Amino acid sequence: MDVQEKLQILSDSAKYDASCSSSGSKRASKKGLGNASISGICHSYSNDGRCISLLKILLTNACIYNCEYCINRRSNNIKRATFTPEEICYITVNFYKRNYIEGLFLSSAVIKNPDYTMDLIINTVSLLRNKYNFNGYIHAKAIPGASSSSIKKLGQLVDRLSANIELPSEASIKLLAPSKNEKSVTKIMQQIKENKNKNFVPAGQSTQMIIGATNDSDYDIINKSSQLYQNYSLKRVFYSAYIPINQSSLLPTLTIPPLKREHRLYQADWLMRFYGFKAKDLLEKDDNFNLLLDPKITWALKNLNEFPKEINKVNYYELLKIPGIGPTSAKRIIKCRKKFKITFLDLKKMGVVLKRAKYFITCDNQYYFKRDNFNKNFIEKKLILEERPKYEQMRLFE
Amino acid sequence: MNRVVTYIYDDTFIDLISLIAKLIINKARPYSIQSKKNYVATLFSEYKEYEFDPKIAKKLLNRLSHKTKKAIINMYLSNNNNKEIVIYYFIKNSLKYEDDIFQMRNLKCVHEGLKISKNVTRETHKFKGFTRFKLLNNNVLYAEILPTNNIIFLLSKHFKVRLRNEKWVIKDVKRNIYCMYEKGKIYYVNDDLEVNKLEFDENENQIEKLWKNFFNTISIKERENKKHQMSLMPKKYWKYIIEMEDVNEKSDK
Repeated sequence: MDVQEKLQILSDSAKYDASCSSSGSKRASKKGLGNASISGICHSYSNDGRCISLLKILLTNACIYNCEYCINRRSNNIKRATFTPEEICYITVNFYKRNYIEGLFLSSAVIKNPDYTMDLIINTVSLLRNKYNFNGYIHAKAIPGASSSSIKKLGQLVDRLSANIELPSEASIKLLAPSKNEKSVTKIMQQIKENKNKNFVPAGQSTQMIIGATNDSDYDIINKSSQLYQNYSLKRVFYSAYIPINQSSLLPTLTIPPLKREHRLYQADWLMRFYGFKAKDLLEKDDNFNLLLDPKITWALKNLNEFPKEINKVNYYELLKIPGIGPTSAKRIIKCRKKFKITFLDLKKMGVVLKRAKYFITCDNQYYFKRDNFNKNFIEKKLILEERPKYEQMRLFE
Repeated sequence: MNRVVTYIYDDTFIDLISLIAKLIINKARPYSIQSKKNYVATLFSEYKEYEFDPKIAKKLLNRLSHKTKKAIINMYLSNNNNKEIVIYYFIKNSLKYEDDIFQMRNLKCVHEGLKISKNVTRETHKFKGFTRFKLLNNNVLYAEILPTNNIIFLLSKHFKVRLRNEKWVIKDVKRNIYCMYEKGKIYYVNDDLEVNKLEFDENENQIEKLWKNFFNTISIKERENKKHQMSLMPKKYWKYIIEMEDVNEKSDK
């Protein structure tokens, strides 16, 4: 089998991993080739609109496990292939030099046993770092069940490690991935957290959850995420809309991946990490997100008694709770209002999304509409109308 | 009646600064500032030039903070038609307010200026990803780019670190600027070089094929969203992004 065909098979098997970020590390260029950019760089965008920044491949897709949702499950009749370390280095270095990619994302199916698989990954990455002097970004998978010594070894070579939790509850894992368990994944996360320093996984660790393969509610999912962020200081949790690859009585028969739901979860994820929201602020137990309105607007409409907020007075954290205002524009408002009184016209110049914010604020005690329009019905109706064209852009119903 | 006067400068950054310094000293109120290259005479307007004076240009630059200088250099590299007049007002105001100017977003020159400057840094960042090198048979990496703004000077700083042990050339096709790098030094050439026909490395074809292959398989069919793809990677850049070449040719027919 030639490299061309291997790359086809092993990138095809790797594409369902959502992570593509290349930020958070500033590995210097030293003697060899390349460096890591702290902000991350997207090099291309594939036909599904997702960014390509890393060469996302599996080392092998010959797996000993038989997880229901996975394309590489043992009982699937697909072509199997395995890269040699030299082949991976050849492709990575040549792609990197031509500026196609920001680095390598090396994952693997579990071959023989977890430790054996980890050794293969370590060999490859170490060849790339030491023989080819490659200083670009490397994201590697930590295989659940691997020994702590191999995690230590791998962590010193890469910028990011990730172990996928895949499903938000133990019951769902038992159902769909019986040979995995949550403990083996969290154990790895714990080890990475304990060892983390500027030479060990400098860009931190991440994980991924599949959305829509089980009955778990959005509340279960964001609650799980917030626990993971808290307990293991994860950098990111990725959400991946379930795409039916395998036929199984245990899996739902979806025809369209739940992309809008995935989008809402990412929005909630951001609200928890950068806006000071808690999972229980955003959703009641067993609830799902409103697909028509984003989580922040939904929250604001539910807590309308806290609004309207006066732009020229309220503090930073209060500003962050206003729909249409994010950390950047909130900081700008704080700085600018020391110099002059902010009006609705100025807000637009500061990057505030006025079409959402205008319902929830006053500028110098002026409301954007007539005062009696400040009620839930009016605002909700207007906002749903404004969201509509965006809905078409997502092309969910075509 | 106010006279409509357009001031002309000689196309370089330092020349523009010299002109602005003189305008500030003379308390002139320019209607517009244009580079010689772009200036088109119109009826009812007159134009004026000042003699270039490096001394007062330097003096003005020394009065500006590092942050301000960085911002106006970015504005200068922009493709925006009104950048000169924005820079003029930005400098005038930053002499008055110093670095507080960055918080004075209610001033038109500030929010316009910072918008222009941001546009340039954004495009530079995009090209850190979108630049595609090809390996020539003399071991030089060669890339052609077609950015909207004049970003090659900012972009080259990035590759100077990243590809420090390689030899590379980036050409801005529209502006005819070559940026060449070898052993820690960058050279810019602004002329039409007599370039021989480019000969590629023998493996170049194979690597490009691998990349296009990867690009196609990594996309998930069920999630296809070409509109989203195009908004993140605008069509105007596709010409030199090799994985989009085939798409480009097809749509041209």
